[in-house]
Amino acid sequence: MRAMIIDDSRAMRSILRRIVTGLDFETSEAEHGQAALDQLHAGVVPDVCLVDWNMPVMDGYTFITEVRANPEWRDITLMMVTTESEQRQIVRALAAGAHEYVIKPFTADAIVDKLSLLGLLPEESAVTA
Amino acid sequence: MTAVDAPAVEDLLAVTEDVWLALVGDDDPLLPRAVPPGSPFDAAAWSSVTTISGGWQGAVTVELDEALARRLTTQMLDLPADEAPSDSDVADAVGELVNMVGGNVKSLMPGPSVLSLPAVAAGRAAFASDTALACRLDLVWRDAPLRISVHIPQEGPR
Repeated sequence: MRAMIIDDSRAMRSILRRIVTGLDFETSEAEHGQAALDQLHAGVVPDVCLVDWNMPVMDGYTFITEVRANPEWRDITLMMVTTESEQRQIVRALAAGAHEYVIKPFTADAIVDKLSLLGLLPEESAVTA
Repeated sequence: MTAVDAPAVEDLLAVTEDVWLALVGDDDPLLPRAVPPGSPFDAAAWSSVTTISGGWQGAVTVELDEALARRLTTQMLDLPADEAPSDSDVADAVGELVNMVGGNVKSLMPGPSVLSLPAVAAGRAAFASDTALACRLDLVWRDAPLRISVHIPQEGPR
């Protein structure tokens, strides 16, 4: 499995990378939505994107709408990982095509649970992670 | 002056503890630090601020001691003990800290609101003259101080 971590904070990308590499994901990273789109256009297409909302250049919501507008990327699972916790924002993101929504601060278990719910973990990883 | 709702200090503490736990784990908890009201933060080497605008308006500021900022960064980036984080790394980590605290303060207050991207400075925080301190936390982590404060506009919308 491949995960793309999209967050303007290197520290947050590092935290998420440690979690998902511990689940045997290969990872790529982008510091904003446009950089992530550039990677997708270049053929770096992950199974799941972990997407922050508030980022410079292109925010996570816009990134999700851009991904969902391209049928070639319809198989990418999109998971928001953000401090945005207003119900209105969660509904907006899900309506735009996000599959799951994790609010910062999160625990590693929360990320594992969501990836498991999305069917992105082998059964063994979901139980032991 | 118009009264504006502000987060309760116990709510700010709960938010901060949750963020801290997520960022650095539970080996060393944050502890309270006794500081007289009105005292300027005496150790600020790094500060970061994020503003909330919309249904509620305010600014959340984090000020940190130099050693604390670097230890926090080392832990967040999982750097080896003998590798010192760069100033850029520290700015990034301190920015993410205020982003997470600010985002959760936003969730406590009336919305809808928008959270700004964090602004980080090496040095003491500057506070706008048309704002008032609404809530303040003085804490210690591994013997080094940090302060989290919430400022709100002194006057309501005109």
